Amino acid sequence: MLESLRQHWRDQAAALPGNAGQRERALEAFLAQGLPTTAEEEWKYTSLAHLEEAHLTLPGPVDLAEAMAAVARHAVPGLEGPRLVFVNGQLIPPACHLDGLPAGLAIESLAQVLRENDTADTLDRVVDLDRYRLARLNTALFQDGARVRAARGVAGDAPVYLLFLTLGDAEALQLVQPRVLIEAAEAASVTVIEHHCGEGEAAVINAVTEIVAQPGSRVTHYRIQEQADSHAQVAGLNARLDRDAALVCHNVDLGGALVRNDVHVRLIAPGADVELNGLYFTRGTSHVDNHTRIDHLAPRTTSREDYRGVLDGRSRAVFNGKVLVAEDAQKIEAHQSNNNLLLSRECEVDTKPELEIYADDVRCSHGATVGQLDATALFYLRSRGLDEDTARGLLTFAFAEEVITRLGIAPLAERLSGTVIGHLPDSDRLREFT
Amino acid sequence: MLKIKDLHARIDGKDILKGLTLEIAAGEVHAIMGPNGAGKSTLAQVLAGREGYEIVSGSVEYFGKDLLELAPEERAREGVFLAFQYPVEIPGVNNVYLLKAALNAIRKHRGEDELDAYAFMKVVREKMKLMQMDPSFLNRGVNEGFSGGEKKRNEIMQMAVLEPKLALLDETDSGLDIDAMKIVADGVNSLRSPERAIVMVTHYQRLLDHIVPDRVHVLADGRIVKSGDRSLALELEAHGYEWLQQAVGT
Repeated sequence: MLESLRQHWRDQAAALPGNAGQRERALEAFLAQGLPTTAEEEWKYTSLAHLEEAHLTLPGPVDLAEAMAAVARHAVPGLEGPRLVFVNGQLIPPACHLDGLPAGLAIESLAQVLRENDTADTLDRVVDLDRYRLARLNTALFQDGARVRAARGVAGDAPVYLLFLTLGDAEALQLVQPRVLIEAAEAASVTVIEHHCGEGEAAVINAVTEIVAQPGSRVTHYRIQEQADSHAQVAGLNARLDRDAALVCHNVDLGGALVRNDVHVRLIAPGADVELNGLYFTRGTSHVDNHTRIDHLAPRTTSREDYRGVLDGRSRAVFNGKVLVAEDAQKIEAHQSNNNLLLSRECEVDTKPELEIYADDVRCSHGATVGQLDATALFYLRSRGLDEDTARGLLTFAFAEEVITRLGIAPLAERLSGTVIGHLPDSDRLREFT
Repeated sequence: MLKIKDLHARIDGKDILKGLTLEIAAGEVHAIMGPNGAGKSTLAQVLAGREGYEIVSGSVEYFGKDLLELAPEERAREGVFLAFQYPVEIPGVNNVYLLKAALNAIRKHRGEDELDAYAFMKVVREKMKLMQMDPSFLNRGVNEGFSGGEKKRNEIMQMAVLEPKLALLDETDSGLDIDAMKIVADGVNSLRSPERAIVMVTHYQRLLDHIVPDRVHVLADGRIVKSGDRSLALELEAHGYEWLQQAVGT
């Protein structure tokens, strides 16, 4: 893998937008350290070893008609707001629309931003590169992405829809690297949906998102992953929240063969607040690993985290939720929970909360459950005449639906509810109940 | 309709029912009273088919069939209905769709045609009116965000739609204010019929002011220790359960 990446760099450096020096340094630093291995505590359960040997290629130009047809198959119906669409890392202008944006809300192609006005602070502003090395690979070789900026006091209420579609190619294992930068200036608000989905043969997706939330701003971020069963996706979400800024993140994983998500949120000033909601539904032999980390670096910062998992088949899920409370971060509040439903005997979940607290006046809680459906609820449905399989399916759906309901965007919730039901046995029958 | 003979049941190794015998005929309303922990709710749960209880000995015959052999959903389709003491919230699963599936499962079992959407909604709207339920109920998840009183009204509404042969009401009066109690009682009274038996499990006498039972039984320590007419409930109210336990020597 490593040599093929260097070759790509030589071949394509001139075509990649942005600061060539920055990209080259990122590539060399990444290659010097290599991919994370299972010898590292953070990657204990998730192996990327198969990528070491893989011959990754950067995608070439996409056929427009093919891309448009694929977009029509995957885009969430009913999201009528501003939209940027990328297929295999390339912007597809005819599928985008940015009409009627409020003044002060800018949604741009990142490649275009870098070509026109490259400043050193467009990339790697928030991400901790030593801790999350895969971001260097993205920085070195990403082709395009999105920058969403809300100016001071601007309310960007309509959700910005960023669709990243990966079409796998039988002849080459493609490395697709979405990149997103979200900046909310003081007292601004912005909502961004990152929708990662795909079809076709195997592909590797390495996504990086950075969120900068200035004082008093509000950011709502969705990372919805519906990759093909053959795709591997790693994604790093990195956010920095200033005084009284608020961030809500929804992380939903309903596809993919191998999925790893790293969320790292830093609360750097008093009053900063983050809420993380997560849902993963693993099936077959899929593997989904969620690592989250929230750093409470200032007093009176707050965090809430609720991840839920449904596991079936021989799938595997990992949840690791770390909360760090710095020495001076008094009067903080941090609550975390991770609940898992196991639908088969062969699936497995490893869940681990990690609290690292250096302050003494804090309120923290965490809880994890791994279990089966609630016996009373099951009895309730059966006592109304529903057969056991239907009752189980409905309760599994209801468990996932609690997270989906929190999404707050009806067309998106409807789409994901439909996907979840489609994953359950006897889905046609279950659809009648929703 | 229902013949319970010398029923012994336990859960987690603990004996709860210790030789309970009771017969209920169609058209009758029975109240089962008793102190906390006597086994009242266990009786209701065992009759509806809750898993986890071990039937040690005894029998339950329902229209000549062995009720204990049937799965909970089969009992429901045969006309057994349990109004839960704590109805379960199931967000994302629509109230009305659950009710429609429940009704059609029962109709199918009886060899009747499933109701179409129009006919079904007509029934539901009528019963909702009876139970004075808010129309927003139609779009909500099962018991989702309902107050305690709304959940109990919903149970009786379900019962009104499903028209069971044997209705078991488990502490249906608990958590109800006087207005809600009246609505629930009116609902239950409207369902009294010569073909239907109703069994009310309750700790307090007050529900029986509104739904007057034909028979009252006192359950203590897993057995029926005294049976009588309505006056037994009033006596209990006046003297308390201790009086009774002394009187029957348990």
